[in-house]
Amino acid sequence: MISYLLRRLAFLAGSLFLASVVLFLLLRLLPGDPANSLLSVGASPKQIAAARHEIGSDRPVPEQFVHWLHQLATFDLGNSFVSTLPVGPEITSRLDVTVPLTLLSFLLAVVIAVPVGFIAAHRSATWYGTLISGISQLGIAVPVFWIGMILITVFALRLGVLPAGGFPQDGWARPGEALTSLALPVITVALVMSASLIRYVRSAALDVLGSDYLRTARALGSSFNRAMWRHGMRNGAVPVVSVLGIELATTLLGAVVVETVFALPGLGSLLAQAVAQHDYPTVQGVLFVSTFAVLVIGFLSDLAQRLIDPRLRGRLSGGTR
Amino acid sequence: MSERTDLNPGPGEAAAAMEPAPVVDSAKEAPATRTRRSPALVTGCVLLGLIVATALVSLFWVPYAPEDTTGGRLTAPGLPHLLGTDKLGRDLLTQLMTGARIALEAGLGAIAIGAVLGICFGLAAGFATRWLDDTLSTLLDVLIAFPTLLLAMLMVAARSASLSSAILAIGLAMTAVVARLTRILVKRVLAQDYITAARTSGTSWPRVITGHVLPNIWPTLVVNLAQQFGLAVMAEASLSFLGLGAPPPNASWGRMLQEAQATVFTAPTGVIAPGVLLVMLVVGVNLIADGLRDTLDPTRRRTR
Amino acid sequence: MRKSVPLLGGTLAVTLSLALTACGAGADKTSDSPSGSYDKNATVGIGSLYEPQNLDNTGGGGQGVTEALNGNVYEGLFKLTDSGKAEKQLAKDYTVSPDGLTYTFTLRDGVKFHSGKALTSADVKYSIEKVRAENSQSARKSSFDMVKSITTPDPATVKVTLSSKSISFVYNLSYVWVVNSEAKDLKTSEDGTGPYTLDKWTRGSALSLARFPGYWGTAATNAKVVFHYYKDATALNNALLTNAVDVVTSEQSPDALDQFKNNPNYKVNDGNSTTKLLLAFNDRVKPFDNVKVRKAVSSAIDNKKLLQSVWGDHGTLIGSMVPPTDPWYEDLTKVNPYDVTLAKKQLAEAGYPKGFSFTLDTPNYDPHPTAATFIKSELGKVGIKVDINVITPDEWYTKVYKNHDFSATLQEHVNDRDIVWYGDPDFYWGYDNKQVTEWVKQAEQSDTTDQQTALLKKVNRQIAEDAASDWLYLYPQIVVANTKLSGYPLNGLNSQFHAYGIKKS
Repeated sequence: MISYLLRRLAFLAGSLFLASVVLFLLLRLLPGDPANSLLSVGASPKQIAAARHEIGSDRPVPEQFVHWLHQLATFDLGNSFVSTLPVGPEITSRLDVTVPLTLLSFLLAVVIAVPVGFIAAHRSATWYGTLISGISQLGIAVPVFWIGMILITVFALRLGVLPAGGFPQDGWARPGEALTSLALPVITVALVMSASLIRYVRSAALDVLGSDYLRTARALGSSFNRAMWRHGMRNGAVPVVSVLGIELATTLLGAVVVETVFALPGLGSLLAQAVAQHDYPTVQGVLFVSTFAVLVIGFLSDLAQRLIDPRLRGRLSGGTR
Repeated sequence: MSERTDLNPGPGEAAAAMEPAPVVDSAKEAPATRTRRSPALVTGCVLLGLIVATALVSLFWVPYAPEDTTGGRLTAPGLPHLLGTDKLGRDLLTQLMTGARIALEAGLGAIAIGAVLGICFGLAAGFATRWLDDTLSTLLDVLIAFPTLLLAMLMVAARSASLSSAILAIGLAMTAVVARLTRILVKRVLAQDYITAARTSGTSWPRVITGHVLPNIWPTLVVNLAQQFGLAVMAEASLSFLGLGAPPPNASWGRMLQEAQATVFTAPTGVIAPGVLLVMLVVGVNLIADGLRDTLDPTRRRTR
Repeated sequence: MRKSVPLLGGTLAVTLSLALTACGAGADKTSDSPSGSYDKNATVGIGSLYEPQNLDNTGGGGQGVTEALNGNVYEGLFKLTDSGKAEKQLAKDYTVSPDGLTYTFTLRDGVKFHSGKALTSADVKYSIEKVRAENSQSARKSSFDMVKSITTPDPATVKVTLSSKSISFVYNLSYVWVVNSEAKDLKTSEDGTGPYTLDKWTRGSALSLARFPGYWGTAATNAKVVFHYYKDATALNNALLTNAVDVVTSEQSPDALDQFKNNPNYKVNDGNSTTKLLLAFNDRVKPFDNVKVRKAVSSAIDNKKLLQSVWGDHGTLIGSMVPPTDPWYEDLTKVNPYDVTLAKKQLAEAGYPKGFSFTLDTPNYDPHPTAATFIKSELGKVGIKVDINVITPDEWYTKVYKNHDFSATLQEHVNDRDIVWYGDPDFYWGYDNKQVTEWVKQAEQSDTTDQQTALLKKVNRQIAEDAASDWLYLYPQIVVANTKLSGYPLNGLNSQFHAYGIKKS
């Protein structure tokens, strides 16, 4: 296990390095000098030169790369072109919204999807089993912003029970207000996410229910619940955990849309704004942080799978991430 | 937007990757011989067909010129504007019809890019030496960690918001997913005894690819691509919703939704109609994907 | 820049407030004060689309920083009144030398910065120089080009010498924030003399101001003001509907107004705006170097219908560059009336009986694409074919504004008194009329405002007759507020939003 952990950590480090290379190349290969974005605020040639110096685009590419790695290592992501304030603290402050949003949505989705998916599989022949499948089929086809709009219309504008958007200025210093303002966004993401999770859970549960070992266990006198608990959960959990990793990662990234709909000051809306303003240092910083998060989530998900299913021992990257 | 804007695997893809299609000896046992009409496939075809038909009709005829602003502000559905007008007096039905075309263009364009690049890349990785394969697959893992939406935003930051930027970004993001799936499938096939047999008997690699590998992997790939199509359509709608897709005055469903938000009470049709069409299209292709999987891959039939 | 710009417009908002600014006039007319009582310790929530980039108006803070801090946190020697006149604020008095070149200002006593330091003439000198500094991104920078020297004979006196006369000098000073010359970080904190201090700025979300107990003037009628920032109009309106904010500084689309008009809890106020939507021709190049062609195009477009479709029943037609709030306003809508027959005739006279085709560079955010679509269908009727080229604000800035590489473009021009740009032949639209240039120059050097007004009226008429651009319409300025609120500014000209008189019951 230790050696696996070490290898997997090395893999993570390698991926991060690779990600930073890819991100670096993507930004440098794109046409135009990022400093050109300063033109939009009427910069003089002198200011553009300063901006080029600031982001280092006036230096040779290998040197730029070293600079970029240095920036990453020290978490000094440079200063925004637009606000001229440091990017790093800006990103950290936005995590206050995005991280709780992601985790809460994820938890809610799991709480909904696991029992519902299991029921849909266990009672697949009944009318409600079919209904659940149908609804989840429909659910994965509904755009998240559409659900958001409908929820706002109903719960905020018509019924007036929850805020339509925004986040308290004092943030988590007012936990009640912060939670209320995250309520609709969390429900929106969780609904969308659980629709597809239900399908995975159902599929995994069906495989388990139809498996020989479960039949054998029952034939040997285990009760259904006991057999399911001892053998089924463990076997069914592996593919589900791998999918959970993906879902968690995608929720984090899907935050862009949700945060826009609900006017939340998170990482997603920061990115959207930075892109609109061609604010390269901010774009670069946000992309790196989110890629980092996705890779770490993948790592944790692999680790969880291995803990559940020791048979995966031989494989470096567990599951099918 | 979670799993949709992202081209990370949908249910079928992950399932397919976990349990790739059974390895069939050759094209002789072509799945077509077992084709059975599945209700999902039929429903899916009907839904997709409706949208495709709408898009085709819009090429030759729309009720009003797309730029015609003579309809009056936010008129209710009725005559002469069947579904009413938007705030600028443009005919909603006309916009929806043109929107169908944009949605399909986005889906097909992204699929084309993703399939061609992804399959080539995946085949290369599948056949590569251990070292190269490891590098490529790690690279793919990292690329998948850059989700579509972010990639697209990056492209928009560099180029400008346009349908082609969006399609390119979605297609590239899809490439990584398709490549990874192709690689896994190729590896499975290559591990089979008959490949070793074929190689021992002197069959050349190109012949192995065309004669054994492709026939074995295409059913799973087609199912996956069908799902990716749905994801691509959804991704384009999200980008347009964010103002990063086809620029106005092009009628993209995502942008129509964004614009209609403000008038959700006064003109609900503007919010409902594009959403319903979007759901129809995506459910349609997903059902087709499910149906195809059932017909092309009998071992998974029992689970669905 | 007043338009709600979903995502992509943000950049240009900055651009134009920096680039297209001439001198300015403003008014802070407010809603009627109620007879009833109000809560002296109320917190007022203000919804806005314009978040500051940073808090320094000479360091790229943008429109948002003016809205939130101008008059609230920072004050000038002068402030603008309802009638657009400069009224003494931190200046107790001033004198002008007979040649009009030397201004001597005496400062008000007992004024303290929020940090506790007393205001001195050195701070005023520093503040004016800050605007004029080489790295200053202030929109008003060019208005102070003629300042030759600033001296401070004593702590209460500032003497400014100009190299040429400038009738707008005092007026322009109302845009100069008086900042503590010892203040360190003006990008994330402040040190002004206004009725509020900065309480907290949460980037991406809100900026709050708290009543300053040591204010030299009348204290604010509320204890705290919170500006809540939204990225699109829908979220903004939702916030108002759900009482997350009490007032919206400027509505950017008529779509949601019905919900407020039909609701007794809200008041919809129609104020004065200075934002004009222009179809700007490149007057240097064919075919738009021909006056007849420009007049034909202007007459072929039904501005009234365009305004109706974009703004419903709001907004005004102006027929020229000057809005009714500028002293030199005149109704010039008749100069190039909507008349398709006339347009066809002029086209024929100009040598284009069958019309022509041109590319219209259109910024990618509303209302531009809408207007472009409309113009395309209108001009089609007289045989002119329009290719709509949708571009980003950055492209617009580089292609149109800097390189003058365009035939015609659409753009909103935010500022008041910006007619003076027609006197600059190097401006992006390339209107070059020597007489107009001369009039504009003379106007700035006038001895009296009457003289200035008379000259600028001539300019206005001339550019209309030359159809230098096609002035499609003047935006409305709509402030929607909860009926519990009174005393809020209605016009919000030049993006100011003075909150100190707002009363909440």
